[in-house]
Order: sequence, then C-alpha cells, then structure tokens
Amino acid sequence: MQVTLLLRLALFSGAAALLAVWPLLDVSAGGRAERPAPEAPPTWWQPDSNRVFAARADYTDSTGTVSVLHVGGDVQTRGHPFFSALGPNGRACVTCHQPADGMSVSVSTIKSRWRETRGSDPLFAAIDGSNCPSLPQEQAASHSLLLDRGLFRIARPWPPRTPEGAAVTPQFSIEVVHDPTGCNLDPRWGLHSAHPRVSVFRRPRPVGNLEYATRYGYIFEPKNGLPLPIDPRTGLRYSGNLLADQRARTLEEQALDALTSHLQAQASLSAPEMQKLVGFESQIYVAQSADRVGGSLSAAGAQGGPEALASGKPAELQGPGHPSWTEFDAWQHDAASTDPGQRAFRASVSRGIALFRNRTFLITDSAGLNSMNFGNPTRDSCAFCHNMARTGMDVAPGQVDLGTTNEPYADPAPELPLFKLTCASSYPPHPFLGRVIYTHDPGFALTTGRCVDIGKITIQDMRGLAARAPYFSNGSARTLRDIIEYYDRRYSIGLTEQEKQDLTNLLSVL
Amino acid sequence: MWILAGTFASSAWGATTEKVFVTCPVYRDTNAGRKSGCWLATDEAVGIRYDISLSRTKPQRGHEVLVEARLPSTSSASAASSAQSPCGGLTLEPVVVSVLDSLCPSFMLPAESYPGRRFRLDPRLVLGTADVPETLPPGPYPPRTWHIEFAYQSDFLQYQYSEVILDEIGRYVRASHPRRVEVTGYAVTQAREVSGHRLAEQASLAQARADMVALALERLGASEAIVKVSARENPEPLSADGELLEPSRRRVDIHLSY
Repeated sequence: MQVTLLLRLALFSGAAALLAVWPLLDVSAGGRAERPAPEAPPTWWQPDSNRVFAARADYTDSTGTVSVLHVGGDVQTRGHPFFSALGPNGRACVTCHQPADGMSVSVSTIKSRWRETRGSDPLFAAIDGSNCPSLPQEQAASHSLLLDRGLFRIARPWPPRTPEGAAVTPQFSIEVVHDPTGCNLDPRWGLHSAHPRVSVFRRPRPVGNLEYATRYGYIFEPKNGLPLPIDPRTGLRYSGNLLADQRARTLEEQALDALTSHLQAQASLSAPEMQKLVGFESQIYVAQSADRVGGSLSAAGAQGGPEALASGKPAELQGPGHPSWTEFDAWQHDAASTDPGQRAFRASVSRGIALFRNRTFLITDSAGLNSMNFGNPTRDSCAFCHNMARTGMDVAPGQVDLGTTNEPYADPAPELPLFKLTCASSYPPHPFLGRVIYTHDPGFALTTGRCVDIGKITIQDMRGLAARAPYFSNGSARTLRDIIEYYDRRYSIGLTEQEKQDLTNLLSVL
Repeated sequence: MWILAGTFASSAWGATTEKVFVTCPVYRDTNAGRKSGCWLATDEAVGIRYDISLSRTKPQRGHEVLVEARLPSTSSASAASSAQSPCGGLTLEPVVVSVLDSLCPSFMLPAESYPGRRFRLDPRLVLGTADVPETLPPGPYPPRTWHIEFAYQSDFLQYQYSEVILDEIGRYVRASHPRRVEVTGYAVTQAREVSGHRLAEQASLAQARADMVALALERLGASEAIVKVSARENPEPLSADGELLEPSRRRVDIHLSY
C-alpha cells in the first residue's frame, strides 16, 4: 500500500511538472512533440530488493503514462525468480525488464544508470551489456551500442542450432565485412573462436502481454503452409511469436536461454521456480493508460490501458468484422471533451487508426509477406501484418523482413557489425535479395539456417511503446515518429505531414 | 521431350484445350483496396495479353512465370472479354502460375482506368480458429485419397489451399484411426519446352513434396509409425472436372487405408 501511495504521489508530481510545460506542447495538428522520459527515474528496480510489485502501477513516460497490470495481484519480490540475481553477474530478469519502461528498458534509463552507477550496474555486464566482453569495461565507449541504441549483444551459435540443440546445416556462409565492436572477429568470442558465435545486437522485448505472444489463433503457419509444431511437454503448439529470431519457443525456453546467457547462471531453475517465474510473466499486461494531451485513454468511451488487454481474447485476427484498434473507436465522435487540444488529439488518433486499417500501399520485396503466394508487390495496409487485435502482432508467426537489418533498406548503421551472407548454389536463393546478402543481423536465419529467412525479425507487441524507445530490433528508430518515417520511406507510402502525426499519435496511445 | 508453345489440345490426357507459356509478368496497380492489384501476362507467341490474377499463386515482379490455364472457348469471346476485363487482359480461369527462378525486367503499369478486382476470399478457404472445438467427420470411414498440387519446381504448401485439404485429412485421421497413411510425392521430370524454356522438375522434388506433406500430417496427429512416404516421377494427370491437367501431375497423393 505504501508503495502504491508513493507511486501515485510520484505520478501526481509528474503531472504537476507537465502542467508547467504545457504551453510548450504543439497541439495545433492534434499532436505534440515526443520527448525523452524523465531522466534518473526513481523507479529503478534493483535485483534482490525487498519490494512489492503492485497489482497495478503507473509510470510517467515520453508521452504520458504507461501502466503495468499484474492480474495475479501484488507480488512480494523477495526471493522471487524474476527479481532475484540468479547468476554471478548480479542481474535479475527485472534488470532489463523494468516496469517503468513498459517491462523493457529504454535508452534514457540505460543512460541514467550509467551516470548514476558510473557503469557499475549489472545492466552493463560485460557478457552482453558491452559491445564485447574483451573490451575495457570501465569505458563508456565499450558499451556504446547499449548506451546509444539500447542494444544488448546476442551471441548465436554458428553453425545454427535448433532450440533442442541439434546442429543445422546452414544454406549460407557468413563473413564479417566490418565490425566496430570487434566481437565477431574476437579470438575468444568471435566467429572463428573455439566456440564460434555470431554476435548481433538487439533490443530487449517487453515482458508483458505474453498471453498474446504465446497463444495462436490458427494452427497453420501461412508462411510455410505447415501446422505449427507441437510442444511435446504440453501438447500445445508453439506460437512462433516469442523473440526476434524465435530461438526460444516458450516462456520456459526463453527463461532458460536468458538464465544462461544474460544472467550467466550455471544452475537451472527448479520446477516450482520456473512455474512461479512463467506464471508471473504470463499475468503481466502493459499499455499506455494516459496521454499528456489526450488525457485518460479510457475516457470518453475509449478502452486504452492494460485492463482491456487482460480481459481481451489473445490471438484474435482483426478483420472487417472487428478491425484494428477498436479500443479507440469511441473517439471518432468525441463530444465529451471540452478541451480543444484534447479533442484535436483524440481526433488525430482516430485518423491514425483509419490510416492504419485502410491506407493501402504496395508492399514489396519483404520476405515472409511477398514470398508467400500473395505476390510481389501486394497492396495492403498496416493491418495486413499487424493483424492481431489489441497488440498489433501477427496472428500467424510474424517472421518478416521489413528491411530494418538487411541492405539495401536498412538505415545506415556504421556502428553495427555488417555481415556478408552467401547462399549456396544447391539451395534456393533469397527471393528478393539474391545469393549475396549484406545484413546487420541475419535474424530468423540464425535459427533456421535458411536463405529465405535472412533478416526476418518477429513482429512485436505494439502496446506500451512510448515507455521503451528506441524501436525495431536494432534500435534504429529513436522515436515513434521515426517508425512512421521508416515505413513511409521503405514502402513509398507518401504520407502527408498530418498523416505522419496521426499515426505517431496512434502509436503513442497504445 | 514435349514441345509446347502457345495453345495446345492436350490430347494425351483428353480433349481439354489448355494454354501454357512462359513470360515476364506485369503488375497493374489498380488501387482498388487490399490485394486488388492485377497481374498481366502476354503470350508473346500470339501477342495476346492475359489477366492471370485469379491464380492462387501470384507472380513475383522481376521473375518470369509459367502460366498454365484453360482458354476461353472462342477467340471472339476472348476479344470481348478482354475489352471488358477489370484488369486489361483476357481473363484466364482456371489458371495456375508458377514463379520461375529466371529473372526478367520488373514492370508495373498504372490503373489506366481499369478498376481491378476487389479482394474477396472464398469462405471455403478459411479455416476456423484454434479455440473452436473441432468437428470430426462421422463414420463409416472407407479408404480415401486426397491430392495436394504444387507450383512448378516448388514444394511450398500454398496458403488458402493446402491447409484446407490438410485440415480435412487431419480430422479424418483423428476420427478414423487408419492403419496406414500413404503419402506419395510426384515430380514431373519429363522435359517439355515452353516458350523456348526447357522445363523439367528435379527428381528430388517428389520426395521433398512428400516429406512436407508427411510432416504436416504428423503435426496434425498422424503417428509417424503409420505414415509411409514414397516418391515417384511423371504420374498421369488427375481428371476431375474443372482441373487443369498438367498442373495436377505436380502433386502429392494421400491415401488412408484400414
């Protein structure tokens, strides 16, 4: 109760501070500038702290308030596997899945922790919180990808292995073109080491709304025509929607992967501990609940906030009968608000939703989409891929190459490793990129070994975005607006300034 | 080797007139809503532009396509329907498009006043959601055979086609507990020449197709112990009404016995 009270007071203080800058906000087009979340947040969760994870907590973020709901009620964190440092590097799950950051960790929080702890926080553990463990760890430059882009090092075995550990014969060879981190050519950690690894750098996915990520709406996977594989332990099918590269297929597999890699733990979790961990994670829902301009996201008939997620049906396909983001349909005719700025913002969100659903454009050269029998190009809208009601994930497993990591569409990123992948002549080439592909992250192909999967990244949850910048798996979009700009450029959509603002405002309230 | 170019009466398999050619597809962006674009293909041997949009597999711009279709009955009807076409080409239906590895220029046309087709999904091609309790087919369960067709040189299980058949087989298997599930893959290795291209599938494709279907059936509840997989080349075509003959040779047969 005391914690809840403190959080409310903190939120009130934040609201008061916002009122002071209100005149600076641009609401003329129904929008307003994004800005970094408050620095040095008092909401940092240390591992092994004796606190209560409240059943519902609100946190100020870049556009308003993100709320974290635990439907199992308050949780005492002492000894809880999610909040305990289970390995020698002092990290817990919560280290990189901070409630105030929508259960991920934002780059502004990362920078604050660096300043506050002078880089000593376990967040910056050498194993993956630095560009490479062999670098001098006391220097900020050795953690530049984490500090500048919020990226953690993910070391994937080479050749690839299945989640069961079986060797996969890759359809392509891999060379390091350049690597400013040094890690892929490092004698201990690199591609030619005794235990060859491909180091790629990715954002942590949020631990929230996982019911939506782990359920499946249909038993067939349209991208390969096969039924989804079955987890022999449970008899349920794998959803295929966890992690950027699907290297872990269940929350249990993800926990074990994280335990040994990110936490560097030697021992596994006991069955009761695993059950407690997964049970906790499965009951968390994250969404924006208030906007600085738009006000409460559950006002005037809207159904924003995490409660609607908790009561909603996971893995439900949007469509003509129940289109995307009906949560905010009531704002189309908002007559309740007397504040012109608020009304304009809500109207902007409504326009953004209409664009998301109905504005079609030519989707081109995107493996996972055009490589199905839809053809290349195919005309469709955002909702084509972001088709799961309430989260915007893909009801079918969402491994898609948007071009965020592959040349020629990836934004310039000289700070990231660049790989040259050559598809063997005995296998089909990549359908759009040919046999030689340059990429910053082979993505799903590091799990399957297939050429067609190079650069495919699993579509992720769109809720609580404003709390966890930057975006895309490699942090290439620093703001919500950057996401829209990328899509507009990638698919030549031709959005107007107003349309970009409307879509940005939509993303900000999810 | 068969020599095929343009129209032919496939006398080997019956009297049906089928059209087969290889060409570079053209996308017409009619912008009539989602999945509304038109795909056009000109048979350069006769200089006729066809509308091949009704194929369940759509072309990939910049790749040649193999077009297999049934021609409309008369040339006069063809000219009339071409003029009235929503896409600006003589509509072929049924039509099967296979995307070839060979590259060609990437063409796109504007709508040019053609309306295109608004996308309508046949409800028979939509499976129920996973949370709906399944309905198993009632007995009796006589031996039964299904067929799944493939594009040329492909073992890809095509969306909004294959899964409907596989789902039906899966329910039949779970209901009837067959003694054996025979999965026979075929490839057409017999070479034929179409529009100057020599077309022949690799023999290994028969096994790859069969393996893909067997994997799907096992994931649908068929025990690995009862699934028998085999591969063969150059089968007879199927002769079901409305089916194109040559594409039906690129298939997998699934036979349940008791």
